[in-house]
Amino acid sequence: MRAPRTGALRLLALLSLGTLGMRYPPPHELGHLTLEERSRRAGIPGVEFEHWRHRVQFTCRVCHVDVGFAMAAGETGIAASTNRSGFHCGACHDGKRQHRGTTIFAACSDAKSIEGPGSCKRCHTRPDPAKARADYERFAAGLPRNLHGAVDWERAEARGMIRPADFLEGISVPRPALRMDKDVRIPAEASWVNDIIFSHKKHSVWNGCEVCHPDIFPVTKAGAVKYTMLQISAGQYCGACHDKVAFPLADCEGCHRKQVR
Amino acid sequence: MTGPGRWRAIAVAAAMAGALPAAAPAAPRMAAPAARADEGWRAEFEDICAKTQDAMALSAEELRSLVERSDALLPILERLPEPERKVFTKRLQACRNLYAFVLETKEKR
Repeated sequence: MRAPRTGALRLLALLSLGTLGMRYPPPHELGHLTLEERSRRAGIPGVEFEHWRHRVQFTCRVCHVDVGFAMAAGETGIAASTNRSGFHCGACHDGKRQHRGTTIFAACSDAKSIEGPGSCKRCHTRPDPAKARADYERFAAGLPRNLHGAVDWERAEARGMIRPADFLEGISVPRPALRMDKDVRIPAEASWVNDIIFSHKKHSVWNGCEVCHPDIFPVTKAGAVKYTMLQISAGQYCGACHDKVAFPLADCEGCHRKQVR
Repeated sequence: MTGPGRWRAIAVAAAMAGALPAAAPAAPRMAAPAARADEGWRAEFEDICAKTQDAMALSAEELRSLVERSDALLPILERLPEPERKVFTKRLQACRNLYAFVLETKEKR
């Protein structure tokens, strides 16, 4: 077995990452969204949405399959009216649903003003990077992190530190647990990176099958489609989640785990 | 459409035909979540989408039947008021597309 090359080759890898526009964002910015299309029209601040706040509670599938949030910005059609009628954010944020002993606050009241207690300002806030960073650091304290300081969700779950729920009463379709434990080795095209070990188990437990197939990955036959880092960094294939919410593409060894033979 | 899925789809479509207005009137306030469970289409939707976890283990005939049932249910969901229509057609489409995808994969082997 050939040892993975280091030194000059890693430098080459870093230069390549720069060429592809890859970067490692501050951990609290990963998965941050501002939902503002409708809010702007209504003259109120957008919703500052942090994926990590929800990801610790629920699997990706609960929101992106069962609740119906689209994977691309602006495609879901979230509105105050849809939230109030029990869809989108309102599927959970209805002021009644209990989650682990806590009542989840209601999204989008009928208030005429965004000010006041229990008002719109809980979600419709102006960006505050310092607060966002402090909130993240408080949350992530004690959880396993990767080299760049972001929470390592996989390890956190494996150690039983987080238990994302995969079922939302009244919303999710009851279904048996997924039996999928196949890891797939995907040979890397370049000689200076390790082969990819793709964990079907981890991805399918969090996402189910229908998040990825067939929209993001339209084939299952090994080698049928060659996807490049250029495509991935443009948001295709793995890039539909990685670099946006899941760990960034600049974290090469998150995927390129297996030594090249 | 052939096989057992055909008759089931016809039965569901017939049952649903009377349950929904031909054109949903604009609702001043969308349907409350509690009302959803009472509607017949929901049981068919849940039965179809409950099998996504096992898609790879289903036979071609079972997959074909699920695709047919999805295709029969889709026009019924299209007549729901918003945002129910958008949410449930999207969810059903995801299930349907997965079954069709797995079926195609199996048939190519």
